[in-house]
Formats: sequence, C-alpha cells, structure tokens
Amino acid sequence: MSLMNCNMYFLFVALVCGLSSVNAQSLLDELDKVQSDAHPYELATFKSSRISLGHSTETLKKGVLEIGSRSRFWNIPNSDIQSFVADKMSTRLSLEYGISNRLTFGVGGTTLDGIFDMFLKYKMVRQRKHGFPFSITLLQSGSYQSERTSLADIHRSDDFADRLAFTTQLLLSKKVTSQFSLQFSPTLVHRNSSVFEEDPENHFALGMGGRYKVGGHVSIVSEYYHLFNPLESRDTYNAFSLGVNWELSDVMLQFQLTNTRNLVEDAFITQTPNNFNFNDGNLVFGFTGIFILHLHNGLKK
Amino acid sequence: MITGIINTNVDVSDRYITRQGQVTFFSYTNVENIEAKNNQVLSVIDFSKNEIAISMLMKAFVFKKALMREHFNESYIESDLYPKATLEGIILDFDPANREDQTKIVKGKITIRGITKEVEIKTKITFQEQKYIFSGDFELTVKDFEIKIPSVLAPNIAKNISVQFKFEYEPYEL
Repeated sequence: MSLMNCNMYFLFVALVCGLSSVNAQSLLDELDKVQSDAHPYELATFKSSRISLGHSTETLKKGVLEIGSRSRFWNIPNSDIQSFVADKMSTRLSLEYGISNRLTFGVGGTTLDGIFDMFLKYKMVRQRKHGFPFSITLLQSGSYQSERTSLADIHRSDDFADRLAFTTQLLLSKKVTSQFSLQFSPTLVHRNSSVFEEDPENHFALGMGGRYKVGGHVSIVSEYYHLFNPLESRDTYNAFSLGVNWELSDVMLQFQLTNTRNLVEDAFITQTPNNFNFNDGNLVFGFTGIFILHLHNGLKK
Repeated sequence: MITGIINTNVDVSDRYITRQGQVTFFSYTNVENIEAKNNQVLSVIDFSKNEIAISMLMKAFVFKKALMREHFNESYIESDLYPKATLEGIILDFDPANREDQTKIVKGKITIRGITKEVEIKTKITFQEQKYIFSGDFELTVKDFEIKIPSVLAPNIAKNISVQFKFEYEPYEL
C-alpha cells in the first residue's frame, strides 16, 4: 500500500514537472510539435509545362486550358530581304488541357514545315519535402510533318505513315533549393522513315535543363539536349537555349536565345541545322506567350 | 464532490485545442476575386491565463484557381522561407466560466513572412457541446508584410485582404 502511494507520489511529481516544463514554453512552441505537414509535396519545381525548349515535369492542373503561342525568329545570312524584325519566323499554336492534375493532353500546329503534333503527359511521382527526392513525368508525343521541309526533306515519301515521328521522354526533376530546380530528360525519338539508309530511325538523347528563380516572378532557365546518334546524312547540332521566364498569374512569357528553329521535340532534338552562336542566321530569338483559362472552378484539393 | 471534480476539470484542463481551424481570406478587386481557404489551422488556448496561439501552414491554403497556390507560395508568401503564419495573444476580459455568447478582443502579435504586427481582433465567442467556438473577421494590409506585387498585377490584388476565421476548441487531451 505504502509502495503504491509512493508510486502515486512519484507519478504526481513527474506529472507536475512535466506540466511545468510544458508551461515554461510558449503555446506556439507546443503547437509546433503537433503540426503535421499538410502538403508534403514540393510546389512549383518549374512554373510552366516547358522549361525553355522542351517539356518540364510539370503538368497542367485539372480543368486548365492552356492557349500557347511559341515563336522563333531568325535571319537569313547575307540575304537581301528587307524584312521587319526578322527574315524568318516559325510559330507553334497550341491547346493543352489538364484532364486531371496528373494527365495533360495537348495538340499543336507549327507553321515551319507544317508540323502537327499531339502529346500525352503523365505525372507519375511527385517530389516530397521529406521523402521521394524526384518528380517523374512520362511524355509521349507524335508529330506529322505535312510539308516538304525548307531544307532537304528527311522523310522517305509523302505517305502519311512515312511522315510521322514519335518522341518518348522520361522526365526526372528535382527542386534542389527553393530557387534552383534541375531536370534530366532521357529521350527516344523514333522517325517512321528516312530518305538515307545511313540515318538512324531511332535517336537517343539526354536533355538537361535548369531553372533559377531570381525574383518573385522571374526565373532564368537553360536547356541543352545532347544527341548520341545524330543524322549521318547531314550536319546537325545539339539544341541549346538560354532564357528568361516571366511568371505572372494567368499569363506566362518566356524569352529564349537559342539555336533551334522548330518547336516540336523530334524536330529540334534531331534536326537543328545550326550551332548556337551570335552569327547572323544561327542566333534564334524565341518568344512564348501562354494564357491559362480555368474551365473547372471551385476550391482545389 | 462530483461537482467539485467537474469544476476543477473545467478550471484545470485549461487547455483547449483545435486542429481543424478554418481561415479564409478574400481579395476583391474589379479585375479579379481571389479566395483561399485553410481548414487545417492549429490553435490552442490556455484559459488559466487566457493565452491563445494560432499556427497555420501557408501551403495548406487551397484556391479556386489552379496555379494560384503555386504563385501564392512561391512568388508572394515565399513559404519555403516562411512556412507558417502565427498569432500569439491574449483574450481580453474573458471568463471561461461564462458560457454566454459574447464578443471579446483578442490582442496579440500576428507574424506572416517573418514580419510581426500588433493586432486587435474582435472575436465572437460561443459555447456549444463542450466546445468554445471563436469566429470573426478582420483585415490585413498587404503592404504591412512586405509582399511584393508586380505593377502589372497591382489591379488584381486588393490592398486590404479580408480574413475570416472559425475555430472550434475542444478540451486538450494529452
């Protein structure tokens, strides 16, 4: 009995000590202990569905329709053309829609070479603050080149099937710090036909891209695609871009200095005919404007 | 004796807590209405000293428009640097034993983005089913918390943000 009393006494002392030590801290400190992380995922690894040239791991949110206009401007060296701003331009107009928060579907048409493309993009894994360290997104796109190219055409015939190309990408990104995000994009480009036998039908490439947030709404981006087995029949160069993204509410503007003239993955990864430098004709200026329409309103989960 | 125990329970279990407090904020302008809701707000009251503390994660706010959450956290609040908004204060002239509907002032310090402001918030207090329910609304000035808004978006975001809250406090069980 006395032992039990003794135990009770100790319990009481322990409780009092425990309580007083709790009292010694502020109520806020106490709340810190109970706080659970409501949203354990990293937000905004990239703000837009494209880093600069190619896709980022970001997908559109459910019910969001993205209206996009992506343009490239460049000059023809030593030409007599007196054109306004630039000698040549190419624009991809696109509609992209978030079927769910993870799945995006998009279609687009490019003026250069009359390329029509569509893609499906699925976000498989989201990076967690304390947990899985990467985001993984899968992209499958297909494109149809409806016109003979300005340069020598790479497709065998005018048959529909011969003018198709497919791009598969495994996009892996990591938000390293709150300012800096990095992405690696192993890429497979399959072209349905080639004019020259020595040209591979399957190309392997590795994309590398980064975003550095310099202000609340401005980030600097760069992207590079290394092609492991380029075309044999002609000289091509790896795609590179240096750009600034301006991220506003429903509008995003992207500016690029690049060597790529086309905007669809298979074309700019495997068929960029010029290197990146500041010579006339090689330097391409890119401008992207994206407008977001919300077709699905209501508090998001 | 029994009433004595109950009474002491009321007095001794001084702490009441909520894990699902609701905070909603609104920004109304001619151009755009923005609404966001956080229903996972933590708060605790120590009725022995009438002290109150509130803590909420900025990332837990959900918006009507997609992308707003990204913009809010990344471009405005910078929730990677300042993940929480907090309030520490006292309820003035409040007697927890008085369970009638009443309106009291909560005086304290609110901290958003690491910047602390003194506030006095008029709060309606009711008691229902063993819960103290605190509710009310107040305004915050965007400028006070040094939130940078690009000039092109200045018409879209109100200078004063109205905040509504509702907390249902239950006895804190250790």
